[in-house]
Amino acid sequence: MTSVTLAPTAPETAAGPETHLVRRYVPAQQVIHWIGVISFFLLLLTGVALLFPPLSFLAKGGTSGVIHRIGAIAFILLPALYLLRMPRKALELVRESFTYGREELAWFKHMPGYFLGSTRNLPPQGRLNAGQKLHHAATFLMFNTVTLSGLIMWFGKGQLGPEGLSAVVIVHDISMLGLSVAMIGHVYFTFLYGALSGMVTGKVSEDAPNGT
Amino acid sequence: MPTRYAFSIDLDRCIGCQACVISCQAGNELKDDETYIHVGEQIRGSGKTLWGSFDHHRCFHCADAPCVAACPTGTLSKWNGLTIVEKEKCSACGYCTDACPFKVPHIVDNHVSKCVACLDQVKEGQAPWCARTCPSQAIHFGERETILAEARAKVAALKARHPNAQIYGETQLGGLGLLMILLDKPEVYGLPLDPKAPETMKVWQSVVQPASSGLSVLAAGAMGLMFVFARRQHGKERAEHERAAKQKAALQTAQPKATETHHD
Ligand code: HEM
Repeated sequence: MTSVTLAPTAPETAAGPETHLVRRYVPAQQVIHWIGVISFFLLLLTGVALLFPPLSFLAKGGTSGVIHRIGAIAFILLPALYLLRMPRKALELVRESFTYGREELAWFKHMPGYFLGSTRNLPPQGRLNAGQKLHHAATFLMFNTVTLSGLIMWFGKGQLGPEGLSAVVIVHDISMLGLSVAMIGHVYFTFLYGALSGMVTGKVSEDAPNGT
Repeated sequence: MPTRYAFSIDLDRCIGCQACVISCQAGNELKDDETYIHVGEQIRGSGKTLWGSFDHHRCFHCADAPCVAACPTGTLSKWNGLTIVEKEKCSACGYCTDACPFKVPHIVDNHVSKCVACLDQVKEGQAPWCARTCPSQAIHFGERETILAEARAKVAALKARHPNAQIYGETQLGGLGLLMILLDKPEVYGLPLDPKAPETMKVWQSVVQPASSGLSVLAAGAMGLMFVFARRQHGKERAEHERAAKQKAALQTAQPKATETHHD
């Protein structure tokens, strides 16, 4: 869940051997990030087995349903784990994600270019750029809708009736779509701006992110 | 024209003996605690106004079966008017338990549990176990048209004793594959007058499900295409930037003093 896209806001300069690396993530953040990745894709795969008929053979026997629930527990507990293990970092992430200022508005004007690989003339940003803030807000919202609808399906099964079931599954499916699109964008920017190493080694080049 | 089979259950003839329940369990090799048929009773009033009837709670084999629409794995499907079950496909998701307006399917041992219409028997030209076993001939099975005609005749005969007698299932949900001959109004038996699959079910099945998988794939494809272009642009800008940085560095090492004064 902790979807800190590490997309530098300025072009990576002279990424030669002399580039200075600075630590952006502590190991616990990396571990939480990768638990999130694994649980998300398990949930997606075992969920889509019910959504997309050609994959329904994956759901035979009910094992996929059990995996979906195990993934769900990990997925739901992640924010709590983050908060308990690193309360300050977690709260900082939330605070930063939901703070918008003039720079963000300026950044949004350059968003189309940023999507297309151009970082020229981007206004300077803090630790998170405006696009990441938007991404965090959307993820926060859909994390809650997917979790709530999922728990209702899990524990309410058999008591929901046709209306209840379809309403809840519709919320679950739309949240799944939203989270998938957010995930595609997340992966896209990670590879476009070569930011994967941030979550693998925990380190990024000094001049990549601003204000670390 | 494929055959359309149906059951009928005549609640005037039913003696509540549970023979259908037992033969169904035995014939389908169910565990002791699993049953496809529940036979209960309805009792009203007392003394002279005492009224009673047995009732059966079991799959109605709806033509437009909401359970079949909701089933994501093809475990439940329609075959010649019957709602059949391929247990080995079941994922135990339980959507059918909520989709059924009669609350018939259950999850037992990680798979759906409901009447399987004794498909093997029927395919061999035999009636299902319940219909074959019933000692009072309350359960019939055959072509729906024949079964319906029989049921109409029976209701006509019942009217003298039971003015509210009627067939349940002639039209509901596209016509049920189990016609229940009732002695009184459906409400008395707790049967819904107009069972329906709500609009939201159709929205889920025919709009939300295909749209969410389709749009996800579309987004991935579009981003993939965009990636090729964007990566090239980013590389170009990076090269430009590097060139500028190198030039600046070269200038600085060549005439450090001069550049400094320049900048001042
Ligand atoms: C976070 C907590 C979550 C819980 C508690 C949860 C629970 C459930 C449950 C109970 C079902 C019904 C099927 C079954 O019983 O196995 C389901 C279906 C599904 N889930 Fe989840 N889920 C969660 C998160 C997610 C996530 C993150 C995704 C995808 C990104 C996802 C995708 C799906 C899909 C696609 C379906 C099938 C919906 C359909 O049939 O239309 N779920 N989920």
